[in-house]
Amino acid sequence: MSIRIGTNSFEHRVQEGIKNDFMRGAVSSAQGRFRSGRLKAAEELGNWEDWRTLGEEIRNHTMENLDFYLQQLSDQVSKRGGNVFFAETAEEANDYIQNVIKKKNGKKVVKSKSMVTEEIGLNEALEEAGSEVVETDLGEWILQLDEDPPSHIVTPALHKNKEQIRETFAAKKGYDKTDKPEELALFAREQLRKDFLSADIGITGCNFAVAESGAVTLVTNEGNARLVTSLPDTQISVMGMERLVPTWEDLEVLVSLLTRSAVGQKLTSYVTSLTGTRLEGEVDGPEEFHLVIVDNGRSKILGTEFQSALHCIRCAACINACPVYRHVGGHSYGSIYPGPIGAVLTPLLDGYDDHKELPYASTLCAACTEACPVKIPLHEHLIRHRQIIVERENKAPKAEKLAMKGFAKWGSSPAAYKMSTKMARTALKPWTKEEKIENGPGPMKAWTDVRDFPAPSKQSFRSWYKTRKKGDEA
Amino acid sequence: MKVSLFITCLCDIMSSDVGKDTVEILEKVGCEVDFPELQTCCGQPAYNSGYLKESKGSMKQMLRAFKDSEYVVGPSGSCVAMLHEYPHIFKGDPNWEEAAKDLADKSYELTQFLVDVMGITDVGSNFEGRVTYHPSCHMTRLLGVKDAPMTLLENVKGLEFVELPVKEDCCGFGGTFSVKNPVISEQMVEEKTEHVTETGAEYLVGGDMGCLMNIGGRLTRNGKPVKVLHIANILNYQ
Amino acid sequence: MSIQNREAFLNKLAENLGRSRRTEGVERPKWSVSPQWEVFKGATQDELVDVLEEQCKAIHTDFQKTSTADLENVLRETIERYEGNAIIAADDERNAEYQLDTYYQQLEAEGVEVHIWDAEKGKENQVFAERADVGITFSDATLAESGTVTLFNNKGNGRSISLLPKTYIAIIPKSTIVPRITQAARHIHEANQQGHEVSSCVSFITGPSNSADIEMNLIVGVHGPTKVTYIVVEDK
Repeated sequence: MSIRIGTNSFEHRVQEGIKNDFMRGAVSSAQGRFRSGRLKAAEELGNWEDWRTLGEEIRNHTMENLDFYLQQLSDQVSKRGGNVFFAETAEEANDYIQNVIKKKNGKKVVKSKSMVTEEIGLNEALEEAGSEVVETDLGEWILQLDEDPPSHIVTPALHKNKEQIRETFAAKKGYDKTDKPEELALFAREQLRKDFLSADIGITGCNFAVAESGAVTLVTNEGNARLVTSLPDTQISVMGMERLVPTWEDLEVLVSLLTRSAVGQKLTSYVTSLTGTRLEGEVDGPEEFHLVIVDNGRSKILGTEFQSALHCIRCAACINACPVYRHVGGHSYGSIYPGPIGAVLTPLLDGYDDHKELPYASTLCAACTEACPVKIPLHEHLIRHRQIIVERENKAPKAEKLAMKGFAKWGSSPAAYKMSTKMARTALKPWTKEEKIENGPGPMKAWTDVRDFPAPSKQSFRSWYKTRKKGDEA
Repeated sequence: MKVSLFITCLCDIMSSDVGKDTVEILEKVGCEVDFPELQTCCGQPAYNSGYLKESKGSMKQMLRAFKDSEYVVGPSGSCVAMLHEYPHIFKGDPNWEEAAKDLADKSYELTQFLVDVMGITDVGSNFEGRVTYHPSCHMTRLLGVKDAPMTLLENVKGLEFVELPVKEDCCGFGGTFSVKNPVISEQMVEEKTEHVTETGAEYLVGGDMGCLMNIGGRLTRNGKPVKVLHIANILNYQ
Repeated sequence: MSIQNREAFLNKLAENLGRSRRTEGVERPKWSVSPQWEVFKGATQDELVDVLEEQCKAIHTDFQKTSTADLENVLRETIERYEGNAIIAADDERNAEYQLDTYYQQLEAEGVEVHIWDAEKGKENQVFAERADVGITFSDATLAESGTVTLFNNKGNGRSISLLPKTYIAIIPKSTIVPRITQAARHIHEANQQGHEVSSCVSFITGPSNSADIEMNLIVGVHGPTKVTYIVVEDK
């Protein structure tokens, strides 16, 4: 997999999403729970806006000094016995990891959930090179067995119901019990425990690296990331280059923002900070550690008006707040990063050609911007994308461009504008019945396919105002 | 107090009654109202669609029209929020930067102006009926006006208020979104109208004609009897 | 150890940021706000115990409060409740301090398998932990707000103890309780600045493992322990 998922057109994906009743019900109820959890967790603190400001300041400072902090991080990791590889592309990252595994003669890889490894298509690369790769996050494992892409960055299998999961387990793993979530989870525990104990390589993502000490912090609830980093003798952690904080003091702030915004928890069950290899005398933890720092298009965003998109801490609060996501589901975005942040990031990382619809998949209602714990102005980024699509990429539909040219003339000319206020009602008369239009002409059709359009007022406001004024004077 | 009315193109053409009510409310509370005729549209349809160049003509026209105004008041959270964007849009433009800042500083949405500037919480209207309110996204999130409309509605005599479930959710209008992504927009407005119907309200009230046209159009399409009113209609009702 | 491709990579970042490389002299600014220090500011130790107890309800964790003298009894009850026939505990100097070493000997005499982590035995420790019913460690720092025990894992306190057994018991000396993760993070930050090596694994553990990956149903107990008890004990 890479950042792109599926080959269907945006329209097709949206149609499929809207038809999928189970998915929509699941997403809607999940959003409701996430949202109330997040709001409650924020409310408890009493000064959530201060927290957001603090988060924004830390992310901003880190990004402005990214070269400095990445240097510090790599020095610290190296000092603690770890190897650091800076990968400019997905291929470089995958090749490096393949080589590490080859050198260790690794057979089985256990992985904890990581969006960046999805982004670079690590699993496919490793499987091609002959490794057995096992995803160990429950949701990711379900998807791996079913060869399905994630539809949410925190709960990747949100679009699946328990019956589907039971069938997958039965078909792929010989499961013969019920579809009770507890039984399904217990089965996963038993199956995956064997994998943890027999794996020689553990691969993780990285929620936040700490520059001052070289720690890689993983935030989970299931405990799989702890197993991945405690049992195998070789650990490889893959991080997007922006996923770091200067110090432990900054780490705790961002972790607090992350867990509250993502799942409404004060902290998740496990927040684990790992530094380098295991120390002398220690039994658990890797004897060999590699940190792979991935660019894969991120550096292009630095120094641009989109820089704050790199502040994202992958909490999915924007996704959980987005009404468009609720109705179309994650797969409609055609990217492993769905929702508002996906609509902002995907074109930046993977270009506009395949993703030009995403910036328009928003009403600009700004629920995302309001939910973001580090204050990324997501809806403003979407407008910027639209400007680029229109002006630089020249990818806007012809009819739209024509209409906007007309708008420009109309809006800058009071005379033309005034004329339109007089003409509107008459112009629409042929289609008007009982003060409404049910089957509008031309561009109005898209509107009236869905809802009625009211007839314009009998008299425009400005002409009423004029007669009123005359009346006053008389 | 001298107030220039920013009518918004939608109210000018589609809902002149909202404009009339706005004028009468403002006069009733003691404002001297004028209507600068040079005004056109705030530019939002083009700006939000990515047509910066095509939107600037309208914006400049607005800057010219309201150049000498003391206060600018409009019956739309969204259009007024657009005026508040002008300083960002004209940043670094020596010809317009100052004017843009000036306009943003003196522009208010109607209920915001009444409550926050005039300090009025009761405009003395009477309205018998069961009413629910949709707080539009731009008014609440971009302009930050959340309480003012509620305060004013609370003091309307005879009005029975009922809360709209998940009221903060977008109705699916989104300007050109409604015609660019009608399939998604339909799902959103359908959900919104379901919530409206659930309340058992006779009237749906809001502060933005765009959203109200969208929700209202879906209500009539589905044959729902709920009537749609702009908050100015209620506040000027006797 | 090796660092590869760094120079070109970081030079490009600096270039895109529109300035020359920064290799030194970057100071964290003073942030404009510090809400993290306001949480339970000025709370007494007893108040923090109450906060912790309340939070335990939210994280599906049993909470016990006891004296040093009675610790053994509370521990015994908990182990019995967890049907603990195989116990693994950290090799911690506090075992002696709280007289747990004699208690563990007694348990063994009663026929319970007790394994105290022994670095010398290598992977055997993991094998035992994997089949253990109960893992027991002390908390090094306890975060009242979130209900979190913090372990600075080391060669006596293997990561597996709090991870592989079916259940987990954390003994929390009352003095280890702080308002929230802020205080623990500052402690680590300052120790690091003073040149102390940060533990290879700092585990912040908040109750049992869980997942909501199946239809958003909360399932308590996935890969880690399925049941957790915290025992707050008055300090020796």
